[in-house]
Amino acid sequence: MSTQITWKHLALWALFLGGMALLPMLVGKGTLRTIIFANYLAIFAMSWDVLSGRTGYISFGHPFLIGIGAYTTAILSYRFDVPVGISIPVAVIVTMAAGTLFFLPALRIKGTYFALVTLAFMELMYQLVQVIRPDLTGGTRGISGVQTLTRGAVNGYYLSLALMGVIAISLWAMMKTRLGTALSAIGMNEEAVEGSGLNTTKLKLFAFMVGAGVAGIGGAFYVHYLGSIAPRALFDINFLFTIIVAALIGGASTIIGPMAGAFFLTFLLEYLRPFLPGAERYFIYGSIALILYMYEPKGLYEILRKARERLTGANA
Amino acid sequence: MSQILIQGLLLSGLYALIAIGFTLIFSVGRVLNLAYGAYLMLGGYAYFWVVQTMHMPKLLGILVAIGVGVLAGLLKHRLIVKPLKSDPVAVEIATLILAVVIQAGVVLVFNDSAKIMHPIVNGVWRVGGATVTYNILTATIASWVILIGLYYFVRKTHVGRAISAVSMDVKGAAISGINPDRINMITWGLSGALGAIAGVFFASYTQLSPSMWVAPLIIAVAVVIVGGIGSIIGTLIVAHIIGFMEIISTTLVAAELRGVFTMLLIIVVLVMMPKGLFGRGEL
Amino acid sequence: MTRILTKGLCSAAMAGLLSAGAATAEVKVGFIGSLSSDTGRSTLRGAQIAIDELNANGGVMGGQQITLIEADTGEDVTEGIKAYEYLAETAEVDFIISGSIDDVSLGWLPRMQEYQIPTLDTWTSYIGIIDMVVEDPEGMAPYFMNIASDEALATLYINFGADVLKAKMGWDSVVILAEDTAFGQAITGLVTEALAPVAGIEVKDTIIYDIGTVDFAPIFSKAQATGADFIYQVSSVNSQVISSQYVKLQVPMAMTGVNVSALGMEYWEDTGGAGGGISTLSPIPSVGFKLDPASQAFVDTYQAKYDTRPVIPHFNGFNAYHGLKQAMAAADEAGGFKDAMAWSKAMEKQDLILEMDGKMWLRYGFWGADEVEEVTQRTYPHNARFDLTSPYEDAQPSMVVIQWTEDGDVGVVYPPEYATMEFSVPSWVK
Repeated sequence: MSTQITWKHLALWALFLGGMALLPMLVGKGTLRTIIFANYLAIFAMSWDVLSGRTGYISFGHPFLIGIGAYTTAILSYRFDVPVGISIPVAVIVTMAAGTLFFLPALRIKGTYFALVTLAFMELMYQLVQVIRPDLTGGTRGISGVQTLTRGAVNGYYLSLALMGVIAISLWAMMKTRLGTALSAIGMNEEAVEGSGLNTTKLKLFAFMVGAGVAGIGGAFYVHYLGSIAPRALFDINFLFTIIVAALIGGASTIIGPMAGAFFLTFLLEYLRPFLPGAERYFIYGSIALILYMYEPKGLYEILRKARERLTGANA
Repeated sequence: MSQILIQGLLLSGLYALIAIGFTLIFSVGRVLNLAYGAYLMLGGYAYFWVVQTMHMPKLLGILVAIGVGVLAGLLKHRLIVKPLKSDPVAVEIATLILAVVIQAGVVLVFNDSAKIMHPIVNGVWRVGGATVTYNILTATIASWVILIGLYYFVRKTHVGRAISAVSMDVKGAAISGINPDRINMITWGLSGALGAIAGVFFASYTQLSPSMWVAPLIIAVAVVIVGGIGSIIGTLIVAHIIGFMEIISTTLVAAELRGVFTMLLIIVVLVMMPKGLFGRGEL
Repeated sequence: MTRILTKGLCSAAMAGLLSAGAATAEVKVGFIGSLSSDTGRSTLRGAQIAIDELNANGGVMGGQQITLIEADTGEDVTEGIKAYEYLAETAEVDFIISGSIDDVSLGWLPRMQEYQIPTLDTWTSYIGIIDMVVEDPEGMAPYFMNIASDEALATLYINFGADVLKAKMGWDSVVILAEDTAFGQAITGLVTEALAPVAGIEVKDTIIYDIGTVDFAPIFSKAQATGADFIYQVSSVNSQVISSQYVKLQVPMAMTGVNVSALGMEYWEDTGGAGGGISTLSPIPSVGFKLDPASQAFVDTYQAKYDTRPVIPHFNGFNAYHGLKQAMAAADEAGGFKDAMAWSKAMEKQDLILEMDGKMWLRYGFWGADEVEEVTQRTYPHNARFDLTSPYEDAQPSMVVIQWTEDGDVGVVYPPEYATMEFSVPSWVK
């Protein structure tokens, strides 16, 4: 894989985003609504990927970060009438601070233990949101009537697309730098990176801050898109499941992978709706995710790459 | 005071029973089976179906539950753990997806609404200011019997010693003529059976519902984390720490903070003593 | 012939969800709720039966047939928002009937405000939603809730405390056992404030418990230690656990209050009989409630049509059945659903009085925007009309108290006008 940013790359990005920008003329509003959810899921999956996919520190508590971003801006704007121009940046900063908290265990533990401690963070948050100051958080019922930034499917679509585009290109450019290479190296062999004289602690902290920052941006805009927030919608194993599976099914450690995974999962669930309206839908959806993951743990990206290799190999 | 002691012992017994199957897999395979809670759910629903829907004897219900648990464990090993070559992270993620699939399956077959099971053993016993149902007493006694039985199984039998050997050193065990794959398979089946029995008791104490797998999973995770890759004895001790902590916080501090204390304990122990209170020992 | 063919083609296009149904002579109703829960199914089936009857009688609005489109929420908040968007923008329905639980309804409400699609909630009773109607009458105009709000339920329940628990049973003190949720806090607040002054019952202690609690034995011990005469329970999540442990532990104190799991006929089957003695307030019509002929006919049709659970629809099934017909009648008056404001005005005027033995038994109507309820001194715009004072001549009471006996019977124990049996304590309580 080339580490150089070439015109070809930029042209591909422009083509992709330009094509997406034309979609509202081609598809119905219902489809746009589905893509909006896919866009936000893609942001969450990319954020998870920076933190976990690259460094190998698997986070099972990602909804914890997203939830902090979402709740911060929701409470500030709904309860204290803070304008969203202020509440969203504050939410992102708070989420990055929480990301640092997340980082502390990573200094001492890794692998399975790290995954579990993050899961405990999420569960703790789920319980605390309901207990502590329900007058602010709305307790189990959450808050409804949070200010929305856009009205209508088309506007919501463009906002989410712009967000996803900016985040994707920024992360992609970042990963092309030496910093990005070093991050991925941690995932492969942390000791070796340390041995080569790099400060892995700083590198990891950086990855956690970036991952948390993206989660905060995504969570904040997401809640201002939904217009409502509830603990059961965020600090939930099903939400966690969707984010991780999106990143992995698409292909971890890539940018296009988590995006592809998010689109695949969202559309799979939505297109099953007319045929299987009830609980069968989640069963089939989960089973397809499981089979895909078992077939290729590295995801769609790897499947496509192998297929391409086979094709070009056959030509040679 | 005697009341806290009695209730603490009973709840801890139940928690030890819940955690032991999970510990077993973690010790031998070094992987976290996040679908472990689903064994409990499958066991509980199987028992409910046999006893309360088909009106068959309770003993048959328990046997069917164990059968379902063993089958689930073996299938999981064959179809998920082996193909993923026991890669811990991949297994964790695959079992997490599996748990969500099983949850959807249970909704499909048994509907969303929660169900309550008859007590396995009826009646109550009032002692020292506390009321004890024979049901949880049976669960606690069963837990102790199973734990002691497992302890001797691991120490004294050929298969048990092989399991213990694999848990300490896979390569070493393989060199001395043990087939780690077969041992792994046995362990997964055993873990499924233990989970299913725990599920019958857990459900008879709480309820059956499609999301019931999360709570016991968290209890099991807490026990394993706090105890370290546990020995059977370690599991027993930590189950008592967590059980008593819950009873004391419920009775003397604030009942609504029950879960918060458990989560804080997990985080603090993991960050302060990553290897757990008892480090990594043999099984 | 050509007309029939065109019509056939049109509905084929509709079925494929391709056309924007502006010119088609068909009314589309969307259902939002869980397809796997008793609650969701009650609303869905109630709506389906009402639609079948309306269609069999020649349709609505000059002969248009009604179709029903289902969108499952799986009781998940985000899925609920997606389901509402699907109904609004992909299926393009005219009217939505909901069997959603509290947080799911709150999740999609901003979408309702955006799309302005006439929507009727039949299950959630959260007063916060009615407060939203008070604060934003225009944006919430298309929204109606035809179950009495939880505040009204709790207010009347205090009278049960005074009339039965205090006057008849002679109980003077209570310990409150409430779950740690927003619902628990709201109800606990109302009860603590009113029990002592109105009913003369002293609150000895309030124990809040975590909804994930596995073992209630220490909590019951704590409750017993307060020396109170009875336990007042507030439980909406996992309420089977606390009530079945109460029965299994044979706690020697009476327990009454709010227990959401005991509201359906399946309660007995689901608890395997470990639910005797439990009493709870219930919206109307509850299990064990005597039915007027119109509602009874609905139940008969229901039981002839469906053989899976719930065997008897929950209260929201009745609300959906009567409410859907009212929504269609309002649309007839307002010239359809497209003008949400006109429909809203027509819906406000809907008033269905169901009589039994020559006496008003149930009333499906709504509070006006400026009508102040005399007991609570507040308004309930777009909320189901209820009556908080005996003898309930204006409308039915906001709730009844039902009780399950130890042999599996269930009946209404309060208010006396609607009672079918006497309030009692379980046999193990002295």
